[in-house]
Amino acid sequence: MTTVNAPVHAASIEVKGLTKRFGAVTAVDDLSFTVEPGRITGFLGPNGAGKTTTLRILLDLAGPTSGSCTIGGRRYRDIPDPSRHVGAVLEATNFHPSRRARAHLQMMAIEAGVASPRIDAVLALVGLTADARRKVGGYSLGMRQRLQLAGALLGDPSVLILDEPSNGLDPQGIAWLRDLLRHLAADGRTILVSSHLLAEMAQTVDDVVIVSKGRLRAQGPLSILTTRAQSSMRVRTPEVDRLSEIARRAGFAPRQLGGDALLVDGATPEALGPLIATNGVVVHELVQVSQDLESLFLELTTSMTTDGQPVPAVTR
Amino acid sequence: MTTMPRLVRAELFKLRTTPGPWVCFAIVVLLTGLGVTTSFIVGHHGIVHFTAPTTTTQLRRLMGAGYTAAIVMAPVLGVLCITTEYRHRILTATLLIHPRRPDVLVAKVLASAVWGLLMAVVSFVMIGAMGIPLLVAEGGSPSHLFSQVGPVMPGMLAAYVLLAIYGMGIGTLVRNQIAGVILALGLSLVLEPIIVAIFSSLAHMDVNFLPTRATQALAGSLSARGPGGGAGGTARALLSWWLGAIVLVLWGTGTAVLGYFTTFRRDVT
Repeated sequence: MTTVNAPVHAASIEVKGLTKRFGAVTAVDDLSFTVEPGRITGFLGPNGAGKTTTLRILLDLAGPTSGSCTIGGRRYRDIPDPSRHVGAVLEATNFHPSRRARAHLQMMAIEAGVASPRIDAVLALVGLTADARRKVGGYSLGMRQRLQLAGALLGDPSVLILDEPSNGLDPQGIAWLRDLLRHLAADGRTILVSSHLLAEMAQTVDDVVIVSKGRLRAQGPLSILTTRAQSSMRVRTPEVDRLSEIARRAGFAPRQLGGDALLVDGATPEALGPLIATNGVVVHELVQVSQDLESLFLELTTSMTTDGQPVPAVTR
Repeated sequence: MTTMPRLVRAELFKLRTTPGPWVCFAIVVLLTGLGVTTSFIVGHHGIVHFTAPTTTTQLRRLMGAGYTAAIVMAPVLGVLCITTEYRHRILTATLLIHPRRPDVLVAKVLASAVWGLLMAVVSFVMIGAMGIPLLVAEGGSPSHLFSQVGPVMPGMLAAYVLLAIYGMGIGTLVRNQIAGVILALGLSLVLEPIIVAIFSSLAHMDVNFLPTRATQALAGSLSARGPGGGAGGTARALLSWWLGAIVLVLWGTGTAVLGYFTTFRRDVT
């Protein structure tokens, strides 16, 4: 068990049975997931899915109705000098407009007990050295995001929690952020990044935690989505049950869509065609369903398939 | 508590790097200057003269020329100390670095006290810079003014400090910056005089446990009006200076503690 005074090295983030209610509204509903060190985990879901609320509870800015969130086995408030272990970017509005960017970081450095040279280092890291003495009120949204990120990196933390960090960044900025996160993850840091756009995160993240309406919809390596998204075959056959069994034995994941329709996840025409021919299954229609990641994401987060069926939660 | 000095330093730095406190200081300079000027205006047989203060009462009025500035601006500075964080959502950054909220609130109380003290120093510097040349020009003696430093200055310094803490408490309670400033000024300049007048005229009672009356006891009894005279020129009895100080401490800490339990512990969204 981790002792209270031990530093948080390469810590995992654990959310267990988290529920948060605001009056009659349940923002987070019995949510559980784990984020592993050395990987970038995308915390994905549409606006209002409960992502920001979850992160705020994780960072002790809000209290849970029930459940728990820990980083390295400890609540955020129980981590000594937490900003030296956990860096967080929550929103690009947490600045006094009259304060200069460097002064904002200096304020944080004084409170965190971080030496001044580190301020210049993080300013250089996020590309704000030349604008460091400008007032934040004159910053663009993208520059504010970079400044937030500089603040999160001040304590050289081993855990990074970023809420929609690419908001306001231009394509070059997004590419820069992607490279930076990759570089930080390669150092063994734990990185949790929330976003409402899977397409934007698909090139960045290793793992995904997908939430919708406060509930977990999917968790695991990104490959669980890409596998499902890239190769599905829809088959119309009078022998639905038989073909289902044959496909299952062949290692595919068939789903009956009702009537004579069957969807075989993970299958390609080259793989399923010979299987059907060898077993002599009568087929009326064989169509490759090319579902992209974004539509699968939408399907998961709206909780209904394109055929109007509820989507089962997907986990590793 | 090794983090407390860091927290206090950060709070002091925060205020230093925003324009609000400097505006407050400028107003303190103006109000103190006005106080200095009026302390040279003496009425005699219905005729107003601009002349050097000579009596103890007049000299104490000059030495306590920053009294109005203390009553008006020290609470406002305290209000700014916390409501700026809510207004610009900087509290999120503060709590991410130090999530233990009672510590943050204590640091803000201490920082408010330091800023209140600085405000008092600025006021006394203004009194010296403006009052001494005027005194000399009008034929008075600076040594007579210096003899009033002992009786007046400690009470005034304490008043600035405790009123700044009181303002911080109000800011913790209401969170909204404009509402906090209006409440701080409205209580001392409008509501308190009304309450005092009502109780005095209807019940013949002295309501001494309100912040401004407590400040009058702390600073007023040591400045121009003398013990029991009241800074407002009333004849009503005030608390003793030390009781006034205790009452102000209770108002400051009481509002801060109440604010902690009602608003400061809330979710930061």
